[in-house]
This record gives sequence, C-alpha cells and structure tokens, in this order.
Amino acid sequence: MSLFTPRRVGHMSPGGSAITYLLLIVWAAFVIFPIYWLVITSFKSVNDVNSGPVFLPFIDFQPSLHAWRDLLIEDWADTSRSYINSIIIALASTALSVLIGSMAAYALARVTYAPRLSTVLAFVLCMAAVLVATMAYGVDWRLAGAVAVALFVLMVRGLGNRIAGRLGNGDILFWMISQRILAPVVVVVPIYMMFQSVGLLDTHIAIILTYAVINLPIVVWLMYDFFASIPRDLEESAQLDGATMFTVFREVVLPLSKPGLAATTLLVMILAWNEYLLALFLSTADAQTMPILVAAMNAGERGILWWTMSAVIVVMILPVLALAVVLQRFISKGILVGAVKG
Amino acid sequence: MRHFKTPLAAGLLATSMLAAPFAQADGHYNGVTVEILTRPGPVIAGRLAERGEEFREMTGANIVVNEVPFAEIFQKLLTDWATGTNSIDVGVFASGWGVELVNGGLVENLDPYIAADDQIDIDDIAPYFREFNQKIGGSTYLITVDGDFQMLYYRRDVLEAAGLEPPRTWEDYLEVAAAVHGQDMNGDGEADYGSCIFKKRNAQSYFAIGSVAASFNQTQGTGEGFWFDQETMEPRINNAGWAEAFRLYKATGEYGPPDELNHDIGDTRALVTSGRCALAIDWGDIGPLSIDEGGEAIRDKMGAIIMPGSRRVVDPASGELTDCNDSLCPHAVDGINYAPFAAFGGWAGAINASSDDQVKQAAYDFLSYMNQAAQSNIDVTIGWTGYNPYRNSQLDDTSNWVQAGFSEDFAQNYLGAIKESLNHPNMASDIRIPGAQQYTGVVLDRELARFLADEITAEQALANIEEAWEEITEDFGRDEQAQMYRLGLGITN
Amino acid sequence: MAADLSPSPTGAAQASASLPARSRGERLNEWLDRNARHIFLWPAVVLILVFSIFPLVASLVIAFSRIRLSGGGFQVRFVGWRNFDKQLFGSEQFHFLGTFGPLSLMGWVFGLAVTAGVIWWIAAYLRAGPTFIGTLGRLFPWGLVLGLGWLLSYTALSGRPFGTLLTTYFYVLVGCAIQFVIGMGLAYLCSRAIRGRNFFRVLFFLPLMITPIGIGYTFRMLADTSKGPFSPLWQAAGLGDFSWATDPWAARMFIIIADSWQWIPFVFIMLLAAFENVPRDYSEAASMDGASEWQIFREITWPQIMPVAATVMLIRVIEAFKIVDLPNIMTSGGPGIATESMSLHALFAWRSLDLGQSSAVAYLLLFVTVVTCVSFFNLVVLRRVRS
Repeated sequence: MSLFTPRRVGHMSPGGSAITYLLLIVWAAFVIFPIYWLVITSFKSVNDVNSGPVFLPFIDFQPSLHAWRDLLIEDWADTSRSYINSIIIALASTALSVLIGSMAAYALARVTYAPRLSTVLAFVLCMAAVLVATMAYGVDWRLAGAVAVALFVLMVRGLGNRIAGRLGNGDILFWMISQRILAPVVVVVPIYMMFQSVGLLDTHIAIILTYAVINLPIVVWLMYDFFASIPRDLEESAQLDGATMFTVFREVVLPLSKPGLAATTLLVMILAWNEYLLALFLSTADAQTMPILVAAMNAGERGILWWTMSAVIVVMILPVLALAVVLQRFISKGILVGAVKG
Repeated sequence: MRHFKTPLAAGLLATSMLAAPFAQADGHYNGVTVEILTRPGPVIAGRLAERGEEFREMTGANIVVNEVPFAEIFQKLLTDWATGTNSIDVGVFASGWGVELVNGGLVENLDPYIAADDQIDIDDIAPYFREFNQKIGGSTYLITVDGDFQMLYYRRDVLEAAGLEPPRTWEDYLEVAAAVHGQDMNGDGEADYGSCIFKKRNAQSYFAIGSVAASFNQTQGTGEGFWFDQETMEPRINNAGWAEAFRLYKATGEYGPPDELNHDIGDTRALVTSGRCALAIDWGDIGPLSIDEGGEAIRDKMGAIIMPGSRRVVDPASGELTDCNDSLCPHAVDGINYAPFAAFGGWAGAINASSDDQVKQAAYDFLSYMNQAAQSNIDVTIGWTGYNPYRNSQLDDTSNWVQAGFSEDFAQNYLGAIKESLNHPNMASDIRIPGAQQYTGVVLDRELARFLADEITAEQALANIEEAWEEITEDFGRDEQAQMYRLGLGITN
Repeated sequence: MAADLSPSPTGAAQASASLPARSRGERLNEWLDRNARHIFLWPAVVLILVFSIFPLVASLVIAFSRIRLSGGGFQVRFVGWRNFDKQLFGSEQFHFLGTFGPLSLMGWVFGLAVTAGVIWWIAAYLRAGPTFIGTLGRLFPWGLVLGLGWLLSYTALSGRPFGTLLTTYFYVLVGCAIQFVIGMGLAYLCSRAIRGRNFFRVLFFLPLMITPIGIGYTFRMLADTSKGPFSPLWQAAGLGDFSWATDPWAARMFIIIADSWQWIPFVFIMLLAAFENVPRDYSEAASMDGASEWQIFREITWPQIMPVAATVMLIRVIEAFKIVDLPNIMTSGGPGIATESMSLHALFAWRSLDLGQSSAVAYLLLFVTVVTCVSFFNLVVLRRVRS
C-alpha cells in the first residue's frame, strides 16, 4: 500500500473539498504572513524598518544583506558557538528524555505499581526537613542528609504499619506531569545552586540534564496514551514465544508507536531548542544557546535590532523545519497502525 | 563581540592607539584572564571588547566580555557573586545597582588602587560622578565608563519656524508640544508629534517620571535627595509635587504617538532620529546618534537644553506647591528651580572582591584605561558606543566632537547643555539603597503604569507607592536603609 | 546484583572475565529481565526526584521566608504567611486579585448565578451517592469556581480592574478553547484525503518552531500601528489615533492571538497523529450505511481520539497557566497591569530579588493550576472516558 494514495473514505463532494481547501489556504496565509515578515525584515535596511511598512523586496525596497553580514561574518564566532551549543543540547536532551520517558511510559501502561503511601510521605517529610535545616539553620548538608536517611528508615518502618494506603499508576502519572506545573522562574535559583555546588555551571551537561528532566513528563504522558492504545495481543504472543520485556518493547511496541514517537520527539526537541530562562542562568558564555542570542538583539535603550533579530530567528527555524519534514513521513505511517489494528 | 566597524571609528581607534599611555607591549599580565559581564553590544559591550583587545596587546591580559540581556544582568551577577560561583571578575552595570553588591561585601574597594594610579586623573571627572556615582559610603567602588543623565532635546528648525523658545518649565513644554503637534517635521507628508517620551511599563518610564518630579521636590542641592526623609526614611512621594509630575507626564502623551504607552526608549529614539518628534527627553545619546548613519533626518537640526524645571516646588512645611523664593529654592534661576535627574547613573565597572589579586589589579587597570581621558574622550563622541560624557575635558574642547562629525554650532549647544546639567549643584540622585529595584522598577513603575492606563488616579497611585515603599523599608530594616540612604547623599562638595 | 557477583568490584571483573562471554551475557540478560519493571520506571522517577523535588521544596521554603543574597550565600528569615498575606489581603491584593469595592447590579446577578450553579452541582453530586473522599476532593473545585465567580463580580463586572489571577484564567480558558477548536478542525481537515497534505502539515507546524521570545518580538513588529505591516489598513480604517496597547481588552486579545498562533500547531500535530491512528474500517462501514460525516465523527472518531485529546489539552492548559514570554515582551504587562499573568508577576518580583514574593505567587499559581487540572481530569476526562 502506497502511503500517498488518497484513501476512499472521506472522499469529498466538490463543494466540500472546495471549502476544505479554502479553509486550509486561509489558515496557511495566517501562518505564513508573520514568517514572511520576519524573512523580509532580515533583508531590510535600518531606514526601511524605521520609516514605515514596506512589503515587497526589489519593488518596495532594495534588499540589504547588512543584518546577515553582521550575523554570519562579523559575529560568526558568537553565532556559530551558540548554534552548535543549541544543536548539541537539543539533540542530547531529547534523546535522553525520549528514551527514559518512553520506557517509563511503557512500564506504567503495562505493569501495575503500588508504592506505599507511607514511604512516599516519609520521603517528602525527610526531604523538607533536610532543606529547612540546611537553608534556614545552616546545618551542613552532609550531616543533615545522613540524619534524614536514618530518619527515613525509621519512619518507613514506623508508619508502614499505621498507614495502609497505596498509590497506583495513575498517581505516579499525575505526579510526573505535575512537575511541569511550577513556573520555571522559581526553580531557576535552586537548580542554579545545585549545579554550582557540583561545578557544572556553563556546561552542556547541566543544560542537557535540566531540559531532559523538564521535558520528561511530557514524553511520559504522550507516550503513555500511545502505548495504551496499542492492542496487547501482539505483545502477548511475543511473550508466549519467550521474548523479554526489553525485546517486546524494542521489537514490537516501538515500531508500532512510530507516529507517537515522531510527534513527541519533535515536540520535545522544539521545547528544548527554544527554552530561554533556564539556559540564560545555567550558561554564561561557553554553553550559551540561540534564544539568548535573540534576546540579545534587544539593545535596550538603543532599540531593538529588528533586522538582525529577524535573521537569528530565521536561522533558528531552519534545522527544526528540516527535522519536521523528515519526521512528518513517520507521522504519515500512522496509517499502517490503523491497518494493523483492524 | 558585536560591533559596527565604520571607517571613522577605525581611524579614531588608530589615533587613540598612538596616544595610549603605556604603549609598549610588556606583557606583564600574560596569562591573566579578566571575565567581564555586561549587556549585549554594540552598545557598552562593543567598545569594551575593542579596548580589551588593545589592552591585551599592551599588557597581555585577556579581556573576555560576556553579554546577557539587559533585564537579567543584575540577577545574574548577584547570583554569581553571592553564591561564590565567581565566574565573573568585573560587572559593568548601572551604578545605582552597586549599593546592593557593596552592602553584601562583594565589591572590591578601589581607593588604594586609585591612590596608586597616576594615569586616571580623577579630578577631571565631573563632580557628580566622582563624588556620588562612583562612591558608596565614602569609598570608591565603581569606575565610570559612561555618564548618564537626561536632557531635553528639541527641533531647532521646528521651534524657530513657530517662533517658540525651547521650554524652561514643564508647563512651557506642554505649550510648545501643543503648538507644533500635528505638523509634518520630516517632509514625508505625514503628521508628526509634538512630544515623544517613552511610557512603556517595565522599561524606562521610571527614569522619565524622575526627571519630571525632581524639580518639584528637590531644592536644596544634591545632598538633599528627593526620595526619602533622611532621618525617618519616610517616603517623600505622597505629595502635591509628585501628583503634579504624574499629571504632567501623562499630559505629554496627548501630543505623542498614539501607542506611546507601549513605547520604550528604543521606539522613541527611532521616532526622534527619523525626524518625527519636536520635543523629546533622552540621555546624551541623541547628539552622537544624529551624526551616525540613520540620523540624517535630524542632523544639525537638534538642540539640547537642561531638563525643564518648575516655578513651584513642594514646601516642606506645608507639603503644598508654593512659588519659588530665595529661601525655598536657593539654586533657582529666574524663579525656576532645576534639578537634573541622574537617571540610571551611567554604566560603571565594579570588581569582584573574591577574584585573585592579580586579576583584580588587571581588572582595575583595564577599567582605568577605559576611563582615562585619552580613550574616553574619543569614545564618548562615537554614537554606537553608548558612552556619554562624564569628564570636564570631554566638554571643554569641541575639537574631538567636530572631528567626529558635529557642526561647531551643534557641538557648542550640546556640550553647553551637558555642562549645565553636569555641574548643577542641585543635580538629583537616583535611589541608591538596597532594594532599589523593588522601590522603583517594581512598585513605582507599576503604579505609574496603572495611572497612565486610567486604572487609578494620581493620588491613589502615590498612596499605594507610599504604603508599598514603607513595607519594603520595613523588610530591609528601617535603620539600615536610612543609613545607606544618608551615606549615598552624605558627601557634598 | 550484588548477590550474583562476588563482593569486591575487581573480583567481580575477574570472575566475569573468566566466564565464557555467552554465559555472562545471559546472566546479565536474566538479571535485566527479572528487574525489568524497575529498570523501565526508575530512571525517570529518580531524575524527576532529583531535579524537580529539590527545587520544589526549596522554593516552598523560600515562599515562607525573606531571602537575601549577599556575600557568602543566603540570609534566610522565616516570615510565616507574610508573603501570601501580602498577595491575598495586603498591599499586593489589587495586583494579584483585583481592586475591590461595592458590587454592581451585574456583579450581584453573576455572582448569585455562579453560586446557584455550584449549589446545583453539589446537590446533583450528593443525590448521586457521595463518598467521603469524593466530597473532599470536590470541595476544591467548588471553592475555586465560587471564588473566581465572585472575584469576577467584584472586579470586572463592577467596573474595576482585576489582577493577575483572572488575567491568567482569561489566557487559559479563552486561549485554550480557541486553540482546541481550531487545532482540531485543522487536524481533521488535514487527515482527509486531500492533495498537498504533507505540505500543509509541515506548514501548519511552523509557528511552534519559533522560540517564544521570537514570537513576542515578531508580533510586536506586526502590531506596530505606525510602522507595522497593518498600519496602512489601520490608518485607512480611521483608527490612527487608537492603539491596541492602550486598551486592556484589546491588548489581552492580542496576546491570545499570538499565543494561539504559536500553540495551535501543537494541538494540530498531536490530534493529527491521533486521527491517523483511528482505524478506518468502522468509519468505512458507517459511511456505506449512509451515515453523515458529522455522525461518523461524533460516534466513531471522537471516542477514539478522546484520550489523546484530553492529554493534549491537559498539557496545553498546564503550559498556558505559565504564560510569560509573550506578555513580557509584547506589553511588559501593560497597559497598567492588564496583561500581566501570574507567571510574569512572579518574574517581575524575582527580577527585583524579591524571591519570597516570587515563590509565593508561583505557589499560588501551582495551587490553582493543580486544582483546575485535577478537576478537569477527574470530572471531565475520566467521566467521559467511562461513559
């Protein structure tokens, strides 16, 4: 079956198809115009931007390469460093979070977990105690940690008999997604201090790990739904043939989840590619990423260097666009899943 | 590093290299790296990097300029120094922010360095910057690289055609703006604006309101200060002078562009340099910008003058606005009290107290190199550097300015206005106490924005500010704040 | 693992090196297989624990204190509920909640209507057979709806400005509704047999690729009424003297437009994948039986994509509560405080080093987000899925 042959179902009447195309084209125009404006702004001279709208290169205004020259020649060292940093960080953090996240999602979709409520409570209490002791009373963190571990063991044994409740997979899932709720502005300082204490500030590792973790919940949630929608019979027959959980996951489940994986990967990569606040704080120079370069084009009281900023944004879109074109073919293969599911 | 290389700048650079004080490359700082943190260039950072390269060739010290977006500089620097990360040796930032850092013991005291430095010629620095801006509690902690205070700019051609004098008070300002509003001032056939003053929230509107309010509230000289009572730290804001300033500031919007409420200084400058504004307030940058590429529309058409003042000031006894008299306004001229506001205070360098001694010495030598007349007198004439004058020698001699592209006439006018403001005995200081950002950047700025958006009246806004400022003062400790405030004002000359 | 291997690491290495390679691999596999359920889940849990729980608890501590960064680290002073008190009842009340005053007629009508609605909701639940946990859990959404309803009555409906809480809800509710409807519509259209599907789907995805701060600046350019692309239209319509930037509702709508432009692609791409995962057989059969397109969608397609749609919207709602870059760059929260979201409120406090207030606002945001999302999840999604 060819991927691109039109299917019979949903075959439309001429009128219906005209309306469909009209709607799609209207939306396409709405999507394209701001991007078109960005592209032409990157070719405008300072006066063309400041003195009023001009729309068509060569007709309205004479395109100028000054912004591109600034970005790609004069400041090539800055631009290339940020660009390479962004690529390394986006790729590595995405790989990490998709791998770990989809494994966790699969486990949550197939295995029943039941952690004791008492253990979780004890853990949270001990954690809070350590932080209050170290932050507010200046207790050495090693000492506080050791005391907390001992306390934790005692509490688990003591509380375990009194509180009988257990948590389920749903609770774990919700706990994971809830980690994305807190606004990044309040976690910036603690995360900064964490990396500072291990001397990893302004390194790729710090940003990669942080991005992998903040995007993990999204991977888990999206992939959980996709795994849950895959019929179990294929896995079960594979298991009957003696396949392990790893084999089933790699050979049976992942191939079936390609559309979901493709969409999730793309999304997570974009979030990592575009993040600003955490990158700003975790990097000084060596690990600086592209979004910071965009913000840097706001020269404050000198106004915004619209032309160069537009060029930076355009340059930032290109690799993601290429990736989207590649991955969208995988998304198309979702049709095959439908065929299997029947 | 990002900068605009123009043939002119390159030429000036070459001449200044020849004049450099320690021209022989002795390499006594070989292997030393000084990490500087400042805003993104070309403004401020661009010239630091270029001069850093010269400095490296002379001394061997490697000067690295790191750039973060303006709004994040202070947070970033404070976090770096306070948590002991110490990846930054020198912060170049608004001098007003220094208090908080000095208070935390994070900044190196520069007095011994200056005493041992025979190149800096400290007495040439204008009194306000030397005695107030660079000092905190009587010791010098900062080295100025840029002198900032606001002035009024006007279009000489437009005002002359209308037979108007440049405004001396804010009432005049409104009259002039009203008279020329709607004229076409740049010949493009569109109606232009009588007044352009940035009013965007969380941008620079706080500096503009300071410039308007100062002359109503400060009469006794720089040492008086117009933000708080020196003894009790009670805010001097909920009074008739501030209310009048709020109303005047809002009223200028009548003669401005329709979306002025969303204009920051960048938007306003774009309008000024494209010739669309008859009156504008700005820092010293408009002069050099008018001779830069893009400033053709206003070249040799601008005039500059000291910030408008007021005939009526707040009488401390009654709290009401009262006409100036000799005892009330000792510094008044023709019955008008002027108080040019040192908004922002200018960019200045501070050295991390925890850096290595050799790095600190190299960092100081570099800042001193930036500050010395041989370098800075060239740099302040170049628009894109973002550096404005702060030395008397920069103002006395017009030749550097004419060489940079000013006409003799405009150079005289522009430098005259700067000189009048810089040496004014009643120059008004910015808030220079811990938490300054909370007092102004958050509370004052927000209440002002609400007033401009018609959410509340001026009186409500001022009452809210008073209440919130008292809370902040309580949080930081009233006595400590009062002491810091007095230290900031205590040294008069 | 320790049980399988000899105690010392070097001993272990020697022992395993001396074994035939095949057997060593088998043993590892065996071990992996036995512990698979842990190995799959634990990396994620540990990472989240380390990176999220510590900042979460640390900022909770900060929310109850005044913290000052200075030489040698921090000075932390506990101030109890003071930070929250300031936001909810003190000098920041107008900022967070809104400005209070006498109720207008419309305020009364709306407030009473909301109250009646909540009472009806409670009664309906009590009739259906309540459980203790169920009632306890529902107290939160009941309280939240009542509180927000009366807050709206007291502020906007009585002609007074409201604070960052309601502004945030405006972005979340209106923005997400728009994004869901348009995103699903586009996904549906693109899942049909049309020419150029691949082109459209990549094109529609484009806005999501742009960094949010870039979008903020782009829309600021587009919306400039004197030199933006629409300024000629704007002038021609006689609006030359009016600016969206001075009108609270126009400014808020403008931010929603930019937000939608950015996030509709997210809804679109996820739902497109969901639509394409729906088996064709049922709808083909129904189509042959003469069912209309709408019937097919409602009866067959919708139930299938419902779980994914719910997750997508849950994620979208969570992200929408945190909206910060767009209002920050496009309006800086102005005019007044009209476009300031809670996240931006926290950011402003944070920038001025008021970490305590900043954390307090962020925790209030966390609270309303959790209550809203849990309610949405339990009361809407689960119920629909069950039925």
